Amino acid sequence: MALAVFLQELDELARAAVEQFAAAVDGETLESARVAFLGAKQGRLKAAQKQMGNVGPSDRPLAGKRFNEVKQSIESAYAAAQQRLTGGSVRRPPDPTFDATLPGIRPQLGKRHPLTQTMEELKDIMGRLGFTVADGPEVEDERHNFEALNIPREHPARDPLENFYLATAGVGDPDSVFLLRSQTSTVQIRVMEAKRPPIRIISMGRVYRPDTADATHYPMFHQIEGLLVDHRVTMADLKSVLRLFAQTYLGSEVHIRFRPSFFPFTEPSVEVDYQWKDNWIEFGGAGMVDPHVLQAVGYDPEEVTGFAFGLGVERLCMRRHGVTDIREFYKNDVRFLQQF
Amino acid sequence: MIVSWNWLKDYVPLTMSPEEAVHRLTMSGLNHESSELVGDDIAIDLEVTSNRGDCLGHIGIAREISVLWREALSVPNPTPLAAGPSVHTLASVVVEAPQLCPRYTARVVRGVAIGPSPKWLADRLTTIGIAVVNNVVDITNYVMMECGQPLHAFDLQKLAGGRIIVREARQDEPFVAIDHRSYNLQKGMCVIADRERPVALGGVMGGTATEVTDATTDLLIEAADFAPLSVRTTARTLRLHSPSSYRFERRVDPHGVDWASRRACQLIRENAGGILAEGMIDVTANPTVAHPPIVLRFSQLQRVLGIEVPAEEVQRIVTALGNQDVQMNAKQIVATPPTWRRDLLREIDLIEEVVRIHGYDKIPEDVGVPMASSHQGDSERVLKITRDTLVASGFFEAMTPSLVEKEQSEEFSPWSGEPCLSVSLAMLRGADHLRKSLVPSILRVMQLNESLGNKDPEFFETARVYLPRAGKFPDERFMVTLASTRPFRYLKGVLEALVDSLRHGQCLDVQTWDHAFFAAEQAVQLMLNGQTIGYMGVLDSQTQKHYALRQPVVVAEIDFGSLVPCAELVPQFKPVSLFPAVRYDLNFVVDEAVRWADVAKSVRKAAGDVLDQLEYCETYRDPQKDGQNKKRLLFSLQLRSIARTLTGDQADEVRRSVIETCQQHHGAALLV
Repeated sequence: MALAVFLQELDELARAAVEQFAAAVDGETLESARVAFLGAKQGRLKAAQKQMGNVGPSDRPLAGKRFNEVKQSIESAYAAAQQRLTGGSVRRPPDPTFDATLPGIRPQLGKRHPLTQTMEELKDIMGRLGFTVADGPEVEDERHNFEALNIPREHPARDPLENFYLATAGVGDPDSVFLLRSQTSTVQIRVMEAKRPPIRIISMGRVYRPDTADATHYPMFHQIEGLLVDHRVTMADLKSVLRLFAQTYLGSEVHIRFRPSFFPFTEPSVEVDYQWKDNWIEFGGAGMVDPHVLQAVGYDPEEVTGFAFGLGVERLCMRRHGVTDIREFYKNDVRFLQQF
Repeated sequence: MIVSWNWLKDYVPLTMSPEEAVHRLTMSGLNHESSELVGDDIAIDLEVTSNRGDCLGHIGIAREISVLWREALSVPNPTPLAAGPSVHTLASVVVEAPQLCPRYTARVVRGVAIGPSPKWLADRLTTIGIAVVNNVVDITNYVMMECGQPLHAFDLQKLAGGRIIVREARQDEPFVAIDHRSYNLQKGMCVIADRERPVALGGVMGGTATEVTDATTDLLIEAADFAPLSVRTTARTLRLHSPSSYRFERRVDPHGVDWASRRACQLIRENAGGILAEGMIDVTANPTVAHPPIVLRFSQLQRVLGIEVPAEEVQRIVTALGNQDVQMNAKQIVATPPTWRRDLLREIDLIEEVVRIHGYDKIPEDVGVPMASSHQGDSERVLKITRDTLVASGFFEAMTPSLVEKEQSEEFSPWSGEPCLSVSLAMLRGADHLRKSLVPSILRVMQLNESLGNKDPEFFETARVYLPRAGKFPDERFMVTLASTRPFRYLKGVLEALVDSLRHGQCLDVQTWDHAFFAAEQAVQLMLNGQTIGYMGVLDSQTQKHYALRQPVVVAEIDFGSLVPCAELVPQFKPVSLFPAVRYDLNFVVDEAVRWADVAKSVRKAAGDVLDQLEYCETYRDPQKDGQNKKRLLFSLQLRSIARTLTGDQADEVRRSVIETCQQHHGAALLV
């Protein structure tokens, strides 16, 4: 006899027994069901046990195992029915070994880095406002990090001591001068070089500036930047987008204000503050894309305008979560990471 | 820039409260940092952006106030009375380095009496935090803080030959500054020398040799314009930043040089006496060409700002800011920017001026920006799935610096044999190499957590490595790197789950790989669809020691870019079988050298498409019963057909075929 057939019969037997014991309405019907299934001589379980002899020897251990399981389930179904009909509750008596106050067995879960969480949140919000993520290299040339961003050679930002220039062999050859990007605006240039307006992107990632590490500075940090270039884009659009952004992030009615500032790649340039519980809190820098930048990527500033904004991820994350030392982000102590 | 509230009153009526003043200044470009009461005065600290050198003096700030409050600005016109012989008979100036010093002027005052400054002057300097020295030095500082033009007073009698030579420094030329420290000068720096030696560092600091002392009677007053880049480099190289260098770096008003010189001489005569020599030595290399007028089209204001600004308001602002020859018609306004505003060159510059004075609060924050679609790229989506899977598997995400120390950079990198790229400055203690693998970094994170008593840490990081390519942009590759103290099979399982989560049913393969970083025969190349996507292994005990790790660690690094094309981002439904399954447990004795993957491959082949699941259970060794170098492989086989119920005979037939294949190909003996 094939094992599969035997097992199928066992299953059928278990199903029928459980059904009949559950259906018994008094001692008599229960007793006749007991004889039919558990009877010592003529019971169906006994018959099944005999069948087992016909199963191939190699399958016998498995068959035996299943038989025992089925026997157990039929017996307990009978016991339950008996208890139900003799007036006792169907519930088992309490198990004194069960302690519900023992700690649960927790799955071990990891956490995303808080900076990743912050960037993902900002990215999601900007995605809802129609901004698509764009990416670019971290090692850049001077054209993308400076020249196209209206940062001329004599600008202090280009000082070798303000940047991580690569020590490459081809010194003196301007085509092989590389540096670690000091801002994610480089990605804006790359996108605009490759595509005509409309442009609506955000870029984010690591940027590098030689600062001494202390509680509020780290020589590597993350930026997130947005860029929108199209016909008829104005500063009112910039303010409105940033307000939607802040409102979505903070989850309540907030107002935005602009303070004049100075960045080489935008003009007018502003610092952006949002109002939070009667305080104005610094959000980041923004402005209208400088006509020189538009020209540098082959756009006509008489035809299109654009706005750009950027903010430091670490600062935002620190303020949001009350982190007081930026170095915590790069130390990677689990006791820090698991809090977010 | 710290300004004195009382001092500002010299130039503009202060009809507003200090609080209101700093608020509006903040909102128009001079960010208020702090205010402090000093005696009966207030010291107000305003942040001046690098394009606004004109606001590095009280007059500049007063001008902003006059424009904002529509008040008149009154700037004195100093006309010191000259009575001595011509200045040219007393001193001479040669500019040998006009590229470093576009303009140098000198006036001479003789017979002064050095003494303390009058109280009003001393008080003002004290308010803004400038040390009071003596009347002459204080006056040069006062005039600098008044108009933003730095000045220097030399003791004329100590200037050898009464001669000023402006030249480039010689390499390693020594110089003793007013701070009495010695500096080694370098080429490219601008020195003011007399006939014998350097007496000042142009635009940065004066020298001890010719400084004004109590015994000084004759003065040469320098008012000059020095090249911003050279001043900045000099100040930075020598770590010698001064209020003077700060201002030259941000450019001074070329026409303000003469005003400042006259103003200083006037104040010296009033407060220190002396006789002013006739005339001024003025060496100007390139007389500055006046800026061409700027045309501002009214239509551009609306186009850039999104608001209308009334023409009269535009005209008022442009005029009040000091622009000259302002002409307006219905369409545009034309104006010539003042010499102190070297940042005004283009139409957009004037637009910014108009809006910052008119007020950014006039720009609405609720205009309807058109909607646009945004698309999540494949990489972005695969990265999200990857992070989700790893976090759900218990891994914490780490972030470590891209720059590492030289030794660390070479510890491990299977991706490139080239030496790491390096940068000219170290980012953190000696970290000046761009990493080629995240593995050394993540192992340090493991070590740190172990040492902090954090139990069984598990980490991953997603970041770039930078593989050198001669003369070209490096190959930046995004890596996913994992480390765990759990067994090899556990980490492998996480990676299997990862590739399965990217495309259900996708299997990770491995190929043995030998690398000294890892324990012998406990390292593999990770393969997906026949491609190597990464590496994984158990650290060799030497490696473990190198990283000071107490527990054995297994690491893996995967080139994320090679995962992206393997993902099925829109999974397609495949029907599941509605028929019952048949399950067999099998227990084989095989040689120790037999690999599970080979057995599994044979089983799959033998079972064919009714194989529903092949589940490895365990390996068991019993040399007593099975002999040396033997092991038992226990696994279960679940068979199920998509089309019908398998009969017992059919299922048995498959089982038999599996057993035979395993016997033939792997010498496997079935245990019953």
